[in-house]
Amino acid sequence: MAGLTLEHLYKRYDNSGKKKKIKNDFAVKDLNLVCEHGEFIALLGPSGCGKTTTLRMIAGLEEITDGKIYIGERLVNDLHPKDRNIGLAFEDYAMYPPLNVYGNVAFNLRAKGVDKETIDKKVRELAPLMQIDDILDKMPVKLSGGQKQRVNIARAIIREPELLLMDEPLSHLDGKARQAMRVEIKRLINKIKCTTVYVTHDQLEAMSLADKIAIINFGVLQQFGTPTEVYDDPANEFVASFIGEPPMNIMTTTIINKDGTFFFTFDGSNLQIAVPKRYYSVVSDGFRCRMGVRPMDVMIGGADSKGTPEEIATFENLGDERRIGIRVGDVLMMLITEDEKRYKRGDIIKLEVRGEKTHLFDIETGDRIREKA
Amino acid sequence: MARIKIENVRKTFGKVRALDGVTIDVKDKEFFVLFGPAGAGKTTILNCIAGISMPEEGMISFDDNIMNLTDPAHRNVAMVFENYALYPQMTVYDNMASALRSKLYKTDEAEIKKRIEWAAGVMKMDNLLERLPGQLSNGQKQRVAMGRALVREPNVFLMDEPLAHLDAKLRNSMRTELKEMQENLGSTCIYVTHDFMEAMALGDRIAIINKGKIVQIGTGDEIYYMPCNEFTAQLMGEPEINIFTARPLVGSNKYILDFDVNGERISVDLPYDEGVYSKLHDLRLENVDCGIRPQNVKYSFEPKEGYFKTTVYSYESIGNKSVIVAECGGFQLRMIAPNGLNVAIDSEIYIRLEIDHAMFFDAETKDYIIRYDEAGFTAFAASQEEK
Repeated sequence: MAGLTLEHLYKRYDNSGKKKKIKNDFAVKDLNLVCEHGEFIALLGPSGCGKTTTLRMIAGLEEITDGKIYIGERLVNDLHPKDRNIGLAFEDYAMYPPLNVYGNVAFNLRAKGVDKETIDKKVRELAPLMQIDDILDKMPVKLSGGQKQRVNIARAIIREPELLLMDEPLSHLDGKARQAMRVEIKRLINKIKCTTVYVTHDQLEAMSLADKIAIINFGVLQQFGTPTEVYDDPANEFVASFIGEPPMNIMTTTIINKDGTFFFTFDGSNLQIAVPKRYYSVVSDGFRCRMGVRPMDVMIGGADSKGTPEEIATFENLGDERRIGIRVGDVLMMLITEDEKRYKRGDIIKLEVRGEKTHLFDIETGDRIREKA
Repeated sequence: MARIKIENVRKTFGKVRALDGVTIDVKDKEFFVLFGPAGAGKTTILNCIAGISMPEEGMISFDDNIMNLTDPAHRNVAMVFENYALYPQMTVYDNMASALRSKLYKTDEAEIKKRIEWAAGVMKMDNLLERLPGQLSNGQKQRVAMGRALVREPNVFLMDEPLAHLDAKLRNSMRTELKEMQENLGSTCIYVTHDFMEAMALGDRIAIINKGKIVQIGTGDEIYYMPCNEFTAQLMGEPEINIFTARPLVGSNKYILDFDVNGERISVDLPYDEGVYSKLHDLRLENVDCGIRPQNVKYSFEPKEGYFKTTVYSYESIGNKSVIVAECGGFQLRMIAPNGLNVAIDSEIYIRLEIDHAMFFDAETKDYIIRYDEAGFTAFAASQEEK
């Protein structure tokens, strides 16, 4: 059963009052998504890509220009937000300052006229799950950022919504608190099994939390898939460069034919990488495209390696791992190693690239060039 | 370019003691990192060097010239901040020339041109000189801000979290760019950060600061492998080091480390290491804190000899690898795993600690005692410093 369905969803903000006409005036353009019941979906993209607009349309806080939204089997286009049976947790916590944590969590149920005993039972049940049982008597001002966010989420899920919507709930928190909270959210959603849509611009958050990720750019869906799919099999250059840290090395390449063997060559560099056989059906001598390879798939060859010798431009010792940068034309090509050896700038290493892990993209459109089956 | 010395500097803001006897000695042309949590006093040290803050006690000297009474304009320090503060209406060239054209420096145009061309070469931005700041990427703006400082040939560069406002990905790539520029800089540099990766990657030496005091000074390798206390150990490394309390027991001619998991007693033999054994023998501690980095925790989904049973608390990607957190008796153990495993929350997982990579801390004072192969790591760190 589908938990949430978006069909040909459009959003256009009215620009008639503005002098300057905006070229791409669709904030969301022809968005289609199906989220299964109990699934955790992340809407991921850079700021201004339309992810929050989408969330607000699902919530009913924003009018829909065109298209349909179903929650479960219900068409909710014309339903008032309060009738959509959704829980909301946003970046700012918006708690009622005169009420203590218990009062804040219970507020929605009280407003609905649920009787006191039921409310008390529900709050007491939820509190240990959210790890707020020891702070129920505290006032909001006394809480830390992480505690506030837990209360905020508790407030959203106590109503047992059909759909939980979260908009960057962790962006207020810093480093470690954020990571800890991420783990807590994941465990919680795993327990309550509520269909969830989660908006974030942080690819790491999306990768670690979501069952499926919808990557959006300029209001257009780029790819929708599991974290492994979008990481290993990106639909285009945008997805490839957006997912992963450090990002994929992506460089413009000219393919040359040397005695029947194809090689990637790069402007301003002597680096040559053998083209994997599977691409032979789509490449030719002089073919130009973009080549991408992840930093973990570039390696340092041993003494007998046939790789191209290259000079190290940067060496960063990060304790747990080491990162090496090689200049390939304008691009700094990164590789990651856990090798204990310390290099320095100017050292020569032989580069080896896992050919089977390279991806090709069209130079104009950025679309993936796939081998022909 | 200068050697920067700060001796026993104290500074208070009202009742708060911001700096409590700070002493550092930055060598000429060294890239020195001040690293610590928010509110530790890092920026205050920078401000004291720049002359923006006056310390109540202590001495600040550049190349043995005492600077305490010199006003900021005449200290010839260059500050690079989080925001680049470029003049938006001026081209990159004019931005870089602005300081030299001021009353203080009054350099002639031929000399200005010479210096800008040199700095543009160092910063790899020859092609940007005619552009306006609005036409530059963040990375390029950073180069311009540094180039502008460089043409003045300052005594020292002071950089206060220049990358802090960027998102994680951009910060990492900017850090790499900074690293590439750094070696061309040939200048003394003091860099403030709260990001351990920046500290490790950029610093020739790192000073760890907490609550207005210097905790440890050393190279990245020294601090990573031989942190002076648990606080420092926890700062370096992502995910954080695992630290747990255990009892060292004397067995038949060997030490055994004994700790509780879910009420069950686990004993691990301590492999013989001269340093570790003699320290444990000399100190006769009832408890020690044992620190093991996440990459030294091994896991298995099947029961295995030498592994103990725990449950999965979480499994999540941190980019190019993943972290499994295992829970045992309320204690959480972090370990590194590859991406894309199928790990169910609350399922069983079996753990082995590579105890021969452990470091030990005093359970009371939290100070560093000893680690495995300390002599080896000391020699390793020293050999790196010589390079």
